[in-house]
Amino acid sequence: MKKIIAIYGKGGIGKSSTASNIAAACAMNGKKVMLIGCDPKSDSSITLLGGKRIPTVLDVLREKKNVEKEDVIFEGFGGVKCMEVGGPEPGVGCAGRGIIVAIETLKKIYPEYLDNDLIIYDVPGDVVCGGFVAPIKKGFVNEVYVLTSGEYMPLYAANNICRGFNKIGMELGGIICNSRNADREKELAEEFSDRIGSKLIGYIPKDPLVQSCERDGFSVLEKAPDSEIAGVYKQLAEDLLANTDRVKATPLDDDALRELSKKYSD
Amino acid sequence: MTEKEKLIIHPRPSSIVASLYTLRDLNVDVAILHGPPGCSFKHARLLEEDRLRVLTSAMDENDFVFGGREKLERTIDKAIELFSPKTIALVGTCTSMIIGEELTDSAAYAPDGVDVICVETHAGYANNTDGVISVLEPAMECGMITAEELERQRRLLTEATNVEIRHGAASKGYLAPSRGDIKYKAAEKLIELIRSGKKIVGILNAKKETAYMFADELIALYETARLFGMEENITIFSNTDITLGLPRVKEHAVNVMKAFDEQSVPVHEIIGGLDEYAVTAGNVKDLILNKYGGFDVAVIAGVPHALPMEAFAGMELFSITNGPRQVAPLKDMGHQHVMVEIDLHPQTLGVTKIVPSEFGDTLRAVATDVMAAEIGEKK
Ligand SMILES: Nc1ncnc2c1ncn2[C@@H]1O[C@H](COP(=O)(O)OP(=O)(O)OP(=O)(O)O)[C@@H](O)[C@H]1O
Ligand code: SF4
Ligand SMILES: [Mg+2]
Repeated sequence: MKKIIAIYGKGGIGKSSTASNIAAACAMNGKKVMLIGCDPKSDSSITLLGGKRIPTVLDVLREKKNVEKEDVIFEGFGGVKCMEVGGPEPGVGCAGRGIIVAIETLKKIYPEYLDNDLIIYDVPGDVVCGGFVAPIKKGFVNEVYVLTSGEYMPLYAANNICRGFNKIGMELGGIICNSRNADREKELAEEFSDRIGSKLIGYIPKDPLVQSCERDGFSVLEKAPDSEIAGVYKQLAEDLLANTDRVKATPLDDDALRELSKKYSD
Repeated sequence: MTEKEKLIIHPRPSSIVASLYTLRDLNVDVAILHGPPGCSFKHARLLEEDRLRVLTSAMDENDFVFGGREKLERTIDKAIELFSPKTIALVGTCTSMIIGEELTDSAAYAPDGVDVICVETHAGYANNTDGVISVLEPAMECGMITAEELERQRRLLTEATNVEIRHGAASKGYLAPSRGDIKYKAAEKLIELIRSGKKIVGILNAKKETAYMFADELIALYETARLFGMEENITIFSNTDITLGLPRVKEHAVNVMKAFDEQSVPVHEIIGGLDEYAVTAGNVKDLILNKYGGFDVAVIAGVPHALPMEAFAGMELFSITNGPRQVAPLKDMGHQHVMVEIDLHPQTLGVTKIVPSEFGDTLRAVATDVMAAEIGEKK
C-alpha cells in the first residue's frame, strides 16, 4: 500500500526539516516521493530546491483559474516532487480554507500523485481549524506521525494532537522524537509513546548540521550525505516505510502528562 | 481577484441554488442545506412546491466556530422521521465548506436503506453551473445517472455558460433590469403581421420547467393565426424531445407535447431536449436557412439569446424572456420586440400543465377585440 503520511507537532518542533530530510532519504533510496507543504509560510520544500521558493498553488490560483501541474509541481533533489499550498498573509483571509482548495486542486491537476511510493504532507504547527486536517479528510492520508521533543510543551501539544486524531477517527503511526537536548529525552519519549498506546519510531539528535545545511538551502542528505545525522534520517526513512502499525491513541490527562514530564526532569 | 477578471456586480443565482434544482431534476426526496438558516431560503421555499423538501441544519455562530456536524446529523434524523425519504442530499454552503465540514462523515451516519449524496458546493463559484456538476458527479458515482449522461450534461453546461457570457447575464459587468416592451403594443404589431399573411416561425427554446409558460406564447400565436384563418403560415419548432434529460426534465417534455396536442397546435420540428436550449442554435439555423426559408417573422420564447442572429437575417423578431436583465442584451443583438414574463419561474414550479402567459393572453385578448370590431363594422 502506498504511504501517504502527514507529520503533525508543535510549531517550530522540526516538522518541515524532518519531512524534507525524510523525503530526500527515501528518494536517494530510489523511491518516488512527493512532498506537499501545507503551511502558508511555504517553507517545506525549500531545502530540496537549493534554497529556492516555488510558486504556491494559492498564488497561482489567484492569478489564473486554470492551474496546471507544471505551474505548481516542481522536481527537487532526488526527483522529489514538491508542491507548496501557500496561503494568505498572517492576519487576513482563511488559511484553513486555502489548504482545502489546494488539495482539491491537486487532485484535479495531478490525479496520479497517488502513484508515488511516499507522499508526505507537512502541516502547520497548530491544527487550529477544519482546514488543517484536510490532508487527512480529503488528501487520502493513511498514516499520521507526531513529532515531539522531551520538553513539556511539545509533549503537551503531541498529546492534544492525538486527542484530535481520535476525534476524527484517525489512527496513529507512531511518535518521532526530535531532540532538544532535554534530560533523558529518548526514554521520556519512549515512555510517552508507550503510555498513549503507540511506539517511538525514531529519535533524531539535535545537530547543528541540520541548520547550517538549511541556511545554505539544502537537506543534510544532499549537502552532508555521509554525516551521522544523514544516517539517522536514512534509518528513520526506512523505518517509516516499513512501519505497518497503527493504533488508536489513548492520550494522557493533564495530570498524568505533568507527572510524566516531572519524572524525567530530575 | 486579478485585473484580467471581469467584475460582474449584479446578484445572480448561486451554485448552491443550481445544485438544489439539479437534485430536484433527479427526483431526490430531501435536500439538507448544511449552513445558516437563511441560506437560499427563497429558492428552497419554491422547490418545496416542486416535490423537493429542502431543510437546513441551521448553523449558527457557535457552529461556525465549533463545527456543525452534530446539528447536521440531528437534521438527518428529523428528515427521516418526518418524510421517510429514499434519497437525501447533504448540500454544502459557504459556511460549512469554509470551515472544512466533512459531509461524507455525516453521510455514513444515515441508516441503511437511505441513499445519501454529498454535494460539496458554495456560493462563490464564478459560474453557477459548477453547482450542477457538484451534484451530477456524486450522482454518477452512486449510479443515479450514467457516465454518458454526465458527459452530456457537462457539454450542455459549458455551452450554457458560453451563452450567458456571449449574450446573457454574464455578458456585461452590470445589467440593469427592465420590464421590456409593452406587451399590448407588441401584440397589436404581431397581429397586424399575422393578418397580412406573413410567414412566421414560432420557436420554443426554453429551459426545463419554464416551458410550461413559454409554450403558452406559441399556443397563443397559433390560436391567433387560426382565428384569422392564417394558421398555414405558422411553423413551430420546439425543444421538447421526450427522450432527453434527467428524469424530471423528460416528464416536462412529455407534458408540454401533450398540451400542444390537446390544443391542436402542430409541432413541426423538435430541435432538442428541454435541457438543450444552449445547443439548439445549430439546428435552428440549419432548419431556417436550409429546410424552410422565407420566414418574415420569428416569435421566440424561452432563451432567445441562445439563438444565432444569422438565422434571422431580415426577419422581425418578437422575443419573450423571463429575465429582466436579459432585455438589454437582446435589444443589443437586434431583437426588435422584447417582452418579459415577470416572475415566470415560481409559477412554473410544481406544475404539470400549461401556465397562461401574460403575452399569450394579451395576444388572445387583442385578437378577439380586433375580430369583434371587424364583425361590428361589417354589420
Ligand atoms: N534535529 C535538529 N537539529 C538541529 N536543528 C533542528 C533539528 N530539527 C529541526 N531543526 C531546526 O529547527 C528549526 C525549526 O524547524 P522547522 O521549521 O522544521 O519546524 P516546524 O515544526 O516545521 O515549524 P513550523 O511549525 O513553524 O512549521 C529549523 O531551523 C530547523 O533547522
Ligand atoms: S453567504 Fe453563502 S452560506 Fe451564507 S447565506 Fe449566502 S449563500 Fe448561504
Ligand atoms: Mg514547518
